[in-house]
Amino acid sequence: MKILLILAVCMLAGGLGRGQVVDLKHLDRLAAKASETADVTLDGSLLKLGAKFLSNDDPDQAKVKKLVAGLKGIYVRTFEFENEGEYLESDVASIRKQLQAPGWSRIVGVRSKKDGENAEVYLKTDGPDGGLAIICANPKELTVVSIVGKIDLDELSELGHLGVPKIELEKPKPPGKKDDD
Amino acid sequence: MSYLEDDLRMALRRAEPSADFMDCVLARVNQPPPPEPSWWERLTVLLRPPRLQWVAACVILGVMVPAGVQYRKQQRMRAEGEKAKEQLMFAVRVAGNKLHRVQQKVLEMGRMETRL
Repeated sequence: MKILLILAVCMLAGGLGRGQVVDLKHLDRLAAKASETADVTLDGSLLKLGAKFLSNDDPDQAKVKKLVAGLKGIYVRTFEFENEGEYLESDVASIRKQLQAPGWSRIVGVRSKKDGENAEVYLKTDGPDGGLAIICANPKELTVVSIVGKIDLDELSELGHLGVPKIELEKPKPPGKKDDD
Repeated sequence: MSYLEDDLRMALRRAEPSADFMDCVLARVNQPPPPEPSWWERLTVLLRPPRLQWVAACVILGVMVPAGVQYRKQQRMRAEGEKAKEQLMFAVRVAGNKLHRVQQKVLEMGRMETRL
């Protein structure tokens, strides 16, 4: 039994070391608790198909097309909750553990006590395939992004300016304040 | 005399035509020529024999069915492609947005540390 467990851990670590996908399956159960969920799984063939349909005439789409040209997969899980504490620290810890595999390094870790937001960026630079993983967690929202392949971080960050529909939550207004003020 | 000579004589003996032979020949000669078929009739003649009709039906089906299947396949591929494109745009924007926020936080912290 122990040997099987060790073999499984080695296989998982080895897989991640070769640039395979971060396993996000355990997060699926959070969808039932979340008020809003976004689940995007774009592996090799689907990614190529989607990129083929991106227009060169649209500047935003052209940027994305160029950015994803060398990628092998994009996986996004976003959960927004009504209340705090709907997801467990162990849900995030499980992803962190996978990202401790050889080849991955944490390049940024931000912890904000003020708004309880934690953000981590992991990068995989060695080996034939690169990789990027982003974990953003605050009490009411959890977002995990896993990208397989080499990606330009500056270009990706630049695309963050474009805005994400239904991802940026409006901050709750203080009681008594109206929309027009 | 051999049998062969008898046979030849019998075969080559003079025979008188029937009484109405000349009338038949003249009637046939005086018949008006059949009307010239139009181009459309000439075309449809090709499909008139039953076997050719079946061949034509099979050819049409053989062209139409694969073309229809191909069209459906392309439609499905287009729908899947458009969906994948939207997902891709969304995923890249989420990733970019989160990365941008992290960068902003890091910059904010850097500024705060500089002030201190």
